[in-house]
Amino acid sequence: MSVTEPLTDTETGELDYDAIFEILGDHIIDRESHVHTEAAVVRPDEVQSTLRILREDAGFDHLSCVVSQEYRDRFESVYYLKTYDDPTQEFGVVVPTSRDEPKSQTATGVYETAGWHEREAYDLVGIEYEGHPDLRRILLPESWMGHPLGLDYDQDRPQIVEYREHENPLEGHVEEGETMFINIGPHHPATHGVLHLRVVLDGEQVADLDPDLGYLHRCEEQCCQSGTYRHQIMPYPDRWDYASAGILNEWAYARTAENLADLDVPEYAQILRTMSAELCRICSHMLALGTFCLDIYGDFTAIFMYAMRDRERVQNILEELTGQRMMFNYFRLGGVVWDIPEPRQEFFDLVWDFLDELPAAIDEYHDLITTNEVFQTRTVNTGILEPDVAKQYGCTGPVARASGIDYDLRRDDPYGYYEELDWEVITEDGCDNYSRLLVRMQEVEESAKIIEQCIELLEEWPEDEREIQSNVPRTLKPDPDTETYRAVEGAKGELGIYIRSDGTDKPARFKIRSPCYHNLSVLPEIAEGEYVADMIASLGSLDIILGEVDR
Amino acid sequence: MGGGVAAVVFPDLIDEWTGLSEFGLGGEFVAAFIAAFVIGNLMMIMTALAGPWAKRKITAAFTDRIAVNRVGPYGLLIIPADAVRLLSKELIVPDGVDRPAWDLGPLIVASSALLGFAFIPFGSGVHLADPETGLIWVFAIASIASVGLVMCGYASNNKYSLLGGLRAVAQNVAYEIPLILTGISVVIFVGSLQMSEIVAAQSQELISIAGVSIPMWFAILNPFAFVLFLAANFAEIGRNPFDTPEAPTEIIAGYQTEYSSVYFVLIYLGEFLHIFLGAAIIATIFLGGPAGPVLPGIVWFLIKLWAVFLLTQWIRSAMPRFRIDQVLVFGWKLLLVGAFLNLILTAVIVGVIT
Repeated sequence: MSVTEPLTDTETGELDYDAIFEILGDHIIDRESHVHTEAAVVRPDEVQSTLRILREDAGFDHLSCVVSQEYRDRFESVYYLKTYDDPTQEFGVVVPTSRDEPKSQTATGVYETAGWHEREAYDLVGIEYEGHPDLRRILLPESWMGHPLGLDYDQDRPQIVEYREHENPLEGHVEEGETMFINIGPHHPATHGVLHLRVVLDGEQVADLDPDLGYLHRCEEQCCQSGTYRHQIMPYPDRWDYASAGILNEWAYARTAENLADLDVPEYAQILRTMSAELCRICSHMLALGTFCLDIYGDFTAIFMYAMRDRERVQNILEELTGQRMMFNYFRLGGVVWDIPEPRQEFFDLVWDFLDELPAAIDEYHDLITTNEVFQTRTVNTGILEPDVAKQYGCTGPVARASGIDYDLRRDDPYGYYEELDWEVITEDGCDNYSRLLVRMQEVEESAKIIEQCIELLEEWPEDEREIQSNVPRTLKPDPDTETYRAVEGAKGELGIYIRSDGTDKPARFKIRSPCYHNLSVLPEIAEGEYVADMIASLGSLDIILGEVDR
Repeated sequence: MGGGVAAVVFPDLIDEWTGLSEFGLGGEFVAAFIAAFVIGNLMMIMTALAGPWAKRKITAAFTDRIAVNRVGPYGLLIIPADAVRLLSKELIVPDGVDRPAWDLGPLIVASSALLGFAFIPFGSGVHLADPETGLIWVFAIASIASVGLVMCGYASNNKYSLLGGLRAVAQNVAYEIPLILTGISVVIFVGSLQMSEIVAAQSQELISIAGVSIPMWFAILNPFAFVLFLAANFAEIGRNPFDTPEAPTEIIAGYQTEYSSVYFVLIYLGEFLHIFLGAAIIATIFLGGPAGPVLPGIVWFLIKLWAVFLLTQWIRSAMPRFRIDQVLVFGWKLLLVGAFLNLILTAVIVGVIT
């Protein structure tokens, strides 16, 4: 699929948009320019053919994000494409539809990941995707009336839930045949939050699986749309992936808003950002390791407690730095809010102590977990996720890297201070639960390397150049109708944000591309045909945080 | 009672001490009742009070925590407090449960294990009954628990419970056979199923190294059988790494999902009793029963019980759980073959020696 060569400019190596527009030919009815990429406007009945050309002839194998929104005169779906080889190669496909009849052709069939994206768009905005195999609401309950992100949605209108919604759905239900329907969740010890899996079992094996989300939907996108760019949005990202990955989420918003408003970040602040973000990654991976082992071992065993202990140490460091243990609110547009606490040496010592003891801790984990033969029989060759499937479903982060997909935005689409530092992107090609664990464990070590280099830089940094924020206007009002989509490498994968401004100090549309959401969407592919126990283990190895899935 | 060898059992001792035997059959009955009461209470104190407390403390030690330390000395009184708390909770009876099977299940789970201790020689004369077929009795009674688990699982009207019940049966069937086969290899050595005989056989000296006499404990004589028996036993009583019938992270505690209040306490108690019964069998047929230097026999026996209990908790803290199909493969393809090999080898060796 890597026919990308003819489309890149041979001199600069950058994407040659004219060439793309050329191969799309008649499909295009207009061109649009977004801050980060060019986009083609296509007719709503030509979505599939356009996307197929882009995937097969232009090499865009990653449907990164689908944004849907309502304008005064039209509905619009935007498909942002990337390539897994080089995520700086981006392209957009804009599909406007009429307000009277918001119907648009589905992109499923070309990109599987569009399935959940379009269900969400249908649920929240109200665009109907023709040809979609399963166009149901995904975040809101089936009985919901109206589409909350639509312009004419009346929040004060009471939701009427009819009596039949309260009826026992299994009343008079007789199971026939050899299979058994079972609800796993929303209150199940191993769903890592309030996730509901509708599972059909054939004996102990999973015959069919349908995730039901939305129990933790907190209207995060709408919350952000009603906050001002400068100050009011930044606290929200901490609450998406709340398992101590807050700073990574903050960076997603910071990167997008800085891209939109064209703000600079001082170098010193970039180092602080990089260091704190990697601390968060360690926290997050430690929790993932602990809970994954909890699913395999079945009790609160030593490993879970050890992982929590090590996570706690990182949280102490982050608390010193940000004043908070989980909801950090540390980034500001154009920098960070505080410098390292005085006396600095004490803080550096705290970090050094942690870094010195980390290798021994990692060894202990390898001793306890990865070299344990029972653990290997449980995890090796279970939960197989083939690279092609992973790409189709838009999987990113450790999940994709454990399937051998060498994709890490920190290196491939550089931001922060990562380019200047010496570290590796970890990949494994086992494609199984075991590989996903190994990737996370090794990434902890890589993060430690990054932190170490950051601390060395921070210790040596000239006293009078410790600038933590650039000059940012008190009120940010980006130009009307500028759109951008930027992503960072969160703990779970590509965490992207789309913002469209309308000239006010609040975003007109704020869309979160959650890595957990896409990683979870691949679960039926992984788990069908497996044993229940392995399905639970696979779910654990995908490392989802429901706060980020449901937003 | 008291078959081939005229073993003195606990009720006879009570007879002697109290003079109850003068009252004929009625007196013997009262003496037997007192003896059963003493052993029953001893086991209840160990399993219902000390067991849960020790489990918490042991797990805490493995996971770098402190565990209970607030109520009473070393947090000991938290156990009575917990018992009161659990018993005072509402007994929720879900719709559509199959009564009385649903009510009988927990009773069977708890009582079957308690009954098994009747045949265990605790040492120092504490041995309720010593029939010629002692070992068979213990195995038979211990495996009644599977019936209780199936009743719980099937009658709960809950799919998780049903899965748990099915797993329990599949697992018990798979591990019962290697368990008993390995037990029989000991019987071949001893030439008797009587518990007192098995203990007596192990008191002989195996070899003497530098004046220290090593007794003929079957764990030392045949470590292979000991390991087989340990594994089969842990699977039989559903302990880690074979705790698939419960598997909280998969099927939410399986057969016990729907039980609350006093029924939950019974099942919980039953589990502890079964761990200790398993430990008692191991101690009796592999670790020389109550034999040991200096200390009285019963103390040695309790030490051995707790050592096995500690092992179960250690494994619980460190070992992942097998998947159900792996449990069955392990049982049928590995353990069963091993048990047969062990049996045949033992029979041949014993045949050659004698």
